[in-house]
Amino acid sequence: METVNISIFSLALTFLLLAVPIFLSLIFDIGLIKALFNSVVRMSIQLILIGVFLKYLFLWNNTLVNLLWLSVMVLVAVFSAVRGFSMKISKVLVPVFLSFSIATFIIILYLNVIIIRLDYVFDARYLVVLGGMLLGNSLRGNIVGIAAFYKNIKKDSKKFLYALSLGASLHEALLPYLRQSVQLALKPTLASMATMGIVALPGMMTGVILGGANPEVAIKYQIMIMIAIVTSTTASVVLTILMTMRVCFTKYGTLKTEIFVGNSSF
Amino acid sequence: MIKLVNVNLAYNGETVFENFSLEVKKGAKAIILGKSSLGKSSLFFLILGFVTPDRGKVFFDGNLVDEKSVWDIRKKVAYVDQDVSIGDGNVSRWLDFVSHLKANGSVGFEKNKVKDFLDFFELSVNVLGKDVSELSGGERQRLAIIASVLLERKVFILDEVTSSLDKHLRRKVVHYFVERDDWTVVVISHDTVWLNNPRVKVFDLEVGKWRQ
Repeated sequence: METVNISIFSLALTFLLLAVPIFLSLIFDIGLIKALFNSVVRMSIQLILIGVFLKYLFLWNNTLVNLLWLSVMVLVAVFSAVRGFSMKISKVLVPVFLSFSIATFIIILYLNVIIIRLDYVFDARYLVVLGGMLLGNSLRGNIVGIAAFYKNIKKDSKKFLYALSLGASLHEALLPYLRQSVQLALKPTLASMATMGIVALPGMMTGVILGGANPEVAIKYQIMIMIAIVTSTTASVVLTILMTMRVCFTKYGTLKTEIFVGNSSF
Repeated sequence: MIKLVNVNLAYNGETVFENFSLEVKKGAKAIILGKSSLGKSSLFFLILGFVTPDRGKVFFDGNLVDEKSVWDIRKKVAYVDQDVSIGDGNVSRWLDFVSHLKANGSVGFEKNKVKDFLDFFELSVNVLGKDVSELSGGERQRLAIIASVLLERKVFILDEVTSSLDKHLRRKVVHYFVERDDWTVVVISHDTVWLNNPRVKVFDLEVGKWRQ
């Protein structure tokens, strides 16, 4: 079974649906139209471009190009994450990039080699799609977790300094904050896992089923990807903390304020 | 034991210390007086390496406070801060956190010893089962004092640690710290019980000199 294709004309008809939000916005003066127009145009252009790009990526299916593209995806995720942390990109680019790369590459390799047993490990379809799912999902967790980690240390600076004054090593003093932030980062993923299949049919399953596979295959992929997401989120949050720690604290163990965007004095 | 030599320190563009010097000898009991709470707290932060002087030097027990020595110095000083920032959560879990730090031998505080101190500072054993947030300011201060003593260190820097205690308890705490000859004790306080104790020397931060 193949997915039923949508003709360009039909696709254009979908935009007619937008009449509903536009109409509602006009009636209730919600002021939605500009933002809606902006977002719809951006989405359409980005997806058309990525559609063309992916078509050729899948066509060439060249190891080097595939890996390069995955690296670009990681890099975009890093920029987006660091903006979410309110940190200066120049200070933490390298540690966050390393952490995201390690957490993503190793898990994808595990999935492709050991679970799916691909003949061609760097197949664009699997590398890019799985990479996108892992990065997209662990990104949210990372932003929540890492931002909370540094925010709590700044907010509780007295408590943190008190721990240092007790003779705690930097690791010992940071451990309570690390625990908190990993728990926080995983909360949404754990919650959505616990209701999965009942409350919502997840995107991966929808995709696989529409792609023509039977639900049994879809479920297997969904279970695989969810476990991979939990693993990569946990690993990347912990790794990002351990790696940014080296650049975000002084040799005296105090937080460097110049790492952060905006004035954030203690 | 503690020595600051010609220290300059600015904080957010504001001058806190200019060419400031201070020496506290081993075994001395000193109280720091001054209007600026920033200045007083900064003094303790300089000793603990939480801030570094823009110019000048800070010494602890003859060693320059720098990025290497500071980690050992923090193992030798017992510090209690003004807000008693002992965190949140269960009190005995907090005591476990303190005693299980590698620097503190990871052995844990002896139960009987903890009980003796609670008793001495007139706290019920029940506080151990409570949450830090349930404690009154005075209870928190006494707990932080007990933890600082349990660490068996010889140098104490105490920032307003008796402010929430009644006169009877203040006397008890002051007496406890002042009577130990081998302890070096530096306090920030407005409390007359510290001020009027004959063994306590007074340092006036405004003029940068000891009071005669």
